[in-house]
Amino acid sequence: MNEAQTAATAEQPTIADFARTFRRIQAEIHKVIIGHEQAVEELLSALFAGGHVLIEGVPGTGKTTLVKTLGLALNLSFNRIQFTVDLMPADITGTRVILSGADGRREFSFQPGPIFCHILLGDEINRATPKTQSALLEAMAELQVTVSGTTYPLAPPYFVMATLNPIEMEGTYPLPEAQLDRFLFKVRLGYPGEEELVRIISSTTGPAEAGVEPVFEPAEAAQRIEALKRLVREVIVAPPIEQYAARMVRATQPANSRVLGDMHAPIQVDAVNRYVSFGASPRGALALILGAKVRAMLDGRANIAYDDIDRVAPAALDHRIMLNYAAQSDNVDAARIVEQVVKAVRATRA
Amino acid sequence: MAPGWDHVSESRRDEQKLWLILFKIKGVRSRLNFLALQHWLCSTMALLIGAVGLTFLAAATFGPLTFLGVAIFLMLAAIAGIVRETRVARAMRASGARAAAIADERSQMKGRLTTVLALAGTPKRSPLWAYLVEDTYGRRDDYEPSRIEPRWMSRAVLPLLASILLAALTLPFARFSQARRRIAPPTGAGAPGQITADIRNLDIRPADPALQPNAEIYADPETLRKLEDKLASAENSDRNSGRGLSKLLNKARDFADAFQDKLTGRNSNDRQPTRLRLTDSNPGQSAKPNRGAANPGKSPSTNGGGNGLADNSQPGASGPAQPGAAQKSQPPITSLPAQQADELAANNPAPPASGPDQAQRGADRSSDAGGAGNANVGNGSNHGSGSEPANLFGPESAQPLGSDSFKIAIEAEPSDEASSPGSPAYVPPKVRVPLNSNQYPDQPLARASVPADDENTIKRVFER
Repeated sequence: MNEAQTAATAEQPTIADFARTFRRIQAEIHKVIIGHEQAVEELLSALFAGGHVLIEGVPGTGKTTLVKTLGLALNLSFNRIQFTVDLMPADITGTRVILSGADGRREFSFQPGPIFCHILLGDEINRATPKTQSALLEAMAELQVTVSGTTYPLAPPYFVMATLNPIEMEGTYPLPEAQLDRFLFKVRLGYPGEEELVRIISSTTGPAEAGVEPVFEPAEAAQRIEALKRLVREVIVAPPIEQYAARMVRATQPANSRVLGDMHAPIQVDAVNRYVSFGASPRGALALILGAKVRAMLDGRANIAYDDIDRVAPAALDHRIMLNYAAQSDNVDAARIVEQVVKAVRATRA
Repeated sequence: MAPGWDHVSESRRDEQKLWLILFKIKGVRSRLNFLALQHWLCSTMALLIGAVGLTFLAAATFGPLTFLGVAIFLMLAAIAGIVRETRVARAMRASGARAAAIADERSQMKGRLTTVLALAGTPKRSPLWAYLVEDTYGRRDDYEPSRIEPRWMSRAVLPLLASILLAALTLPFARFSQARRRIAPPTGAGAPGQITADIRNLDIRPADPALQPNAEIYADPETLRKLEDKLASAENSDRNSGRGLSKLLNKARDFADAFQDKLTGRNSNDRQPTRLRLTDSNPGQSAKPNRGAANPGKSPSTNGGGNGLADNSQPGASGPAQPGAAQKSQPPITSLPAQQADELAANNPAPPASGPDQAQRGADRSSDAGGAGNANVGNGSNHGSGSEPANLFGPESAQPLGSDSFKIAIEAEPSDEASSPGSPAYVPPKVRVPLNSNQYPDQPLARASVPADDENTIKRVFER
């Protein structure tokens, strides 16, 4: 492939290109990550939809490895921040330090923090204080960092993956709702099955390590990924599908007059009214549509279908639903609520 | 061809493909709507035909009030069913978007048709629009209307056929039932002209309103005048007592009866009339209305039969039906001189047996009498002396008749035509008549010589 052809492909990829690239990245990741097919697909979907991912899983399930492998496969710059309780925002964003020049002159100069990269892994993000966690907000939402009154843009593509450890809650700080809402998907990594575990053992304890081959050349990686992301945005959404997504998000909102005023959702789900304090925000609807667009392209379609919305609903809505004490006492999790919401809304299809 | 023309022709081809996709969606919609229309028509017809068939069946089977209840229930059920089916048909009706969604679902097109239809009229289209149209067009065989909805006939045809079958079975059954009723003689219908009653012993009681007037009364003018007085008096007393629900019930019964007759084609005039010769044993004294009989539950009857009748009378019929029945069911009153009336009553021949049952009953009666084979043996209840007609009633007796009266039940209607099955049977009014000169107190018929005209007939019956 000559340079001109490469440029053309980068500028105007087709749906087939997208699906092919996606599957190739997936395959590279699965050289290292055994199992977790759905998690990997959701991770990549979030990447191409232009969102960020919150990965939740018990220790040892390959969260960090997954993110590192993704960075290697995409051939993009990759940084990792281990969040601890004493981590400061400046440790993430960077700070101005006094540097001496060649002429001996000293001046303040901005030293970028680890946030300046394409792929950022915030490991155990809930161990840092909310102040430090919120240092990521601007970067995630606006792809820029402001330090000492100066705004520094981040180079696209910018992809944040934060991991959460759900079992060691001592000394942790639950993520603020505003920050949770900025993650497009929440991906759950469970324990692997027996067969998968055997494969993990044999592939990681041997002398040879699985090598991940980058899918993109370093020079064109960012450009091509951005082109694919633009293509995703072009996927056609029919008005009934948009209404369906909106209906689904509304159905997650309980009949709470304090929040909703008189605009109660037409679809009332019992479990929502009983266990949910606050439902999904409009960002939830965007997440549904964007995730569905990626799924449609993977299926070789230029349009999204109802099933695409249903499929991405758990990952897109799970972390956006705030449960109340009744849910905790009844041991009801958000996944079950979303399941019932999807079931109720599915019945209203045209 | 110039590059510009290529673009135009390509654009036109895209439009043609889009048109074809939309045309197929339209075809799917037409099929779905045609089926919805069929469903509505067939199910509505099925409900109507079924309800009409069952109404006919009820008309042939039940009494008036039950029939009315069943008919109302059927009518309400049919209306409810039609409303429901109309709603179902409306829900089945497909708009363009719904037809596209159904086609998407049934052909695994995954929203392509819905999207194409929704955005076909949008001027600003996505760069992927051409891809979508091409992709959808390429799968056009999958959403052929005949594949999306292969049926041409709605399944609602089956209930329609079933209801037609039901109606086809019901109508002959109703006719058969009606014919059987015509053939069967009215229960207890006595031979016309043989009933004689004294007006003083005549109890005027409420008739079953379901029954049509079917009696002819012959009497001299004086007796008839007394009868009219009696009727008027009974009507007055009833007017004071009968109101409200029972009146309404009677109206309903009348209506149901008329409707039932209309449905079954039954004619009340077909029935054999009961002929009653009314006499006045005490012509000089005006006949006092028998209050006990007119309102038997309130005052004791003078003849003792009133109480029994009152006990057996139907609650629904005891009140307002009395004057109504007396007025509506007023028998054809013929004013004749006493002598002429007697002659008519005596000469009016009994109608021939209208069916095998009646003939059989006559034979049975004769055989009962003849079975004893020994006239005047026993307590006098056996009048027969074998099959010899001359001795059938035994020799004419000169034994003086007592002054006691006996009761004759005039059953104006067959008892199986009671208002409703299972309800207390209608007890016909009883009249108390004095015994004639040839009658014994405990014998319904006085011994007499067999009429010469009937000799051969009786002989033939007993020889068979």
